[in-house]
Amino acid sequence: MTTRAEFLGRVRAEMAKTDGLFPAAPSPRPGNPREAAETVRRQLAERWPQALDRFRVEFERVAGVFHRVPSLVELPALLARVAAEKGAREVVGWEARAMGWNLSAALTPYGLTVHPAPAGDGDEDRRRHREDAARAPLGVTGVDWALAETGTLILASGPGRPRSTSLLPDTHVAVFGPAHLVESLEQVGLLLEALHADGGEAIRGGMINFITGPSRTADIELTLTRGVHGPKEVHAVFVDALDGPA
Amino acid sequence: MSELLRTPFPERAGAALKDAFLQQALTIATTKFIDMRRAAFEGFPQGDALRDRARGIKEATLQRLDHYLGQLADNVERLGGHVHWAGGAEEAREIVLRLCRDRGVKMAVKSKSMATEEIDLNEALEAAGVTPIETDLGEYIIQLAHEKPSHIIAPAIHKTKGQVAELFSRALDGNFAADPEVLTAVARKVLRQKFLQADMGITGANFAVADTGTLVLVTNEGNGRMVTSLPRIHVAVMGMEKVIPSMTDLMVFLAILARSATGQKLSSYTTLVRGPRRLGELEGPEELHLILMDNGRVRQVAGPLREALYCLRCGACLNVCPVYRQIGGHAYGYTYPGPIGILLTAMLKGDRSVKELAHASSLCGACKDVCPVRIDIPRMLVELREGLDRGRIAPWSERMVFRAARRGMQSPALFRLGARLGRVLQRPFLRAGRLRRLPFFFGKWTATRDLPPVAARTFSERWRELEKP
Repeated sequence: MTTRAEFLGRVRAEMAKTDGLFPAAPSPRPGNPREAAETVRRQLAERWPQALDRFRVEFERVAGVFHRVPSLVELPALLARVAAEKGAREVVGWEARAMGWNLSAALTPYGLTVHPAPAGDGDEDRRRHREDAARAPLGVTGVDWALAETGTLILASGPGRPRSTSLLPDTHVAVFGPAHLVESLEQVGLLLEALHADGGEAIRGGMINFITGPSRTADIELTLTRGVHGPKEVHAVFVDALDGPA
Repeated sequence: MSELLRTPFPERAGAALKDAFLQQALTIATTKFIDMRRAAFEGFPQGDALRDRARGIKEATLQRLDHYLGQLADNVERLGGHVHWAGGAEEAREIVLRLCRDRGVKMAVKSKSMATEEIDLNEALEAAGVTPIETDLGEYIIQLAHEKPSHIIAPAIHKTKGQVAELFSRALDGNFAADPEVLTAVARKVLRQKFLQADMGITGANFAVADTGTLVLVTNEGNGRMVTSLPRIHVAVMGMEKVIPSMTDLMVFLAILARSATGQKLSSYTTLVRGPRRLGELEGPEELHLILMDNGRVRQVAGPLREALYCLRCGACLNVCPVYRQIGGHAYGYTYPGPIGILLTAMLKGDRSVKELAHASSLCGACKDVCPVRIDIPRMLVELREGLDRGRIAPWSERMVFRAARRGMQSPALFRLGARLGRVLQRPFLRAGRLRRLPFFFGKWTATRDLPPVAARTFSERWRELEKP
């Protein structure tokens, strides 16, 4: 079996033969990612309405369904309407502290069965959660960033924020507010650099997903078909008065 | 694949040219991909600058490759993942098989990965009693058909919906309509169960970020997310050249990858995997294994195919290639088809394996124009041909013709003599001013196209006449 030392030794031996043959221009990176990320956030505190317009255009272009409500007061009725349209009686969702509002409290009055992510991570919790997520036709999540340039929802996994909520159900609904909007991939790069600064201690999950519209394939005669493995529909609900990043 | 290779390339290409459905499918698919790519870059003025930057990042990464590979491995391990180093295909397969044996793996779900195709992993898994399930719809179709992908990003473009319906009906014991919607729904249902049952998820990686230890998967179907979220073990097999320095760099590549491949701004899913399941998480693998693979790549760091190490596997060069558009992926006979595929095959299998394929290019340069990292494919193809000649791998007749041509062009006297001789010798074969059929091995050329005859007067002869007062 090849060891790390052997492998890297071979790489170094080859590199030695190319000394001075090629220009080596390292790619520019933010000197202080946290500061750069703060600057981006400050700019966006002013510019989010334009970013929202762009997000909506791009999100709808990739077959996303966009909604907007003034506050969390109007949110439950909207979610209940989407559930009814999809014939969903069971809903899985992120935990309240991951979203900034409580899904069970919002939807139980509408007669829906809500399975919030269990607080523990023991085997029994995990098994039950997987069954719920595999069965429920509707998954509700928050977002970390909503990227305007491409109409993309960016979700980090972690405690109370299962990976499957936005993957297994037929319909995924993501709820976000002004503080989540970013304009460009370049800004996302800055925010990710800041998030990973100092060894990424701030990160609590093992996965970050960029979601740009529903699951799709064109593998049979290039016919575009939605919902091959992941959700068939993705909804984004913008809440004007939703404070702070989830 | 080995069966395919027993037929010489011209016969494989000839068979593809006679396949009417394949011809139609190739034209439709490649034209559509070209149009979508063009539209995506037309509405993206910063695209060209980003392509230059992406190329620069690949170059800078190779300049400090040992550093970035070491950093990637350190970070993956710090996050609780395991890193394996594989010299060749055999070793990479053995690492996966050992993991399966030690952990009692019976079934593995796979998301689309050219790196695992490259090492024929499925055959090895099957032989070891592990059932590999391809979950990308296109890959699933060709797995059921016991074939190989014919396009890097659209593996089953050579199949009709009727053929797919037949395959599904036979394999799944049903009677399914030849309708992509219906067939996709069938695959969703069948494969959903496999995702939930499998012990192991196997993926490749589009990128690996050294600074953070992050593996990046780009998919449209969501199967990449399934196989990295649901099974208890995740194994990623990756060519070592996929390492990039930072998250900032990743954004540059993401901005051009999907646009080049399918004309999307971003693919439906970009998945950043950073270690196994973390404390407090309900899902995600308990174990994550990264296999960093050499398999012929490392020696090209200082080799003639160095630039091919920049390749993102977007498939754009296949779509524009006049040869690929005619013969499709299978005729090439190896894992990687198209212009870049010839170079990658030479990299993985050695120059000798491409002695015919090196000529399966008109050197028109369209591949270089569309390449997101501007790989100079035509230059390397020419160098490859030169190497085949110098290494006496090319056929004797080919080497003799080129040697004669070189001598003739180096000496004005010989050139003049050659032109005069040619004019006399070609006379019996001239039909309406064209050479339509030549004897001996020259006949191979004229069997498929005309050879322009030697002109009645050469340029220098005409020039001399013009100079006369």
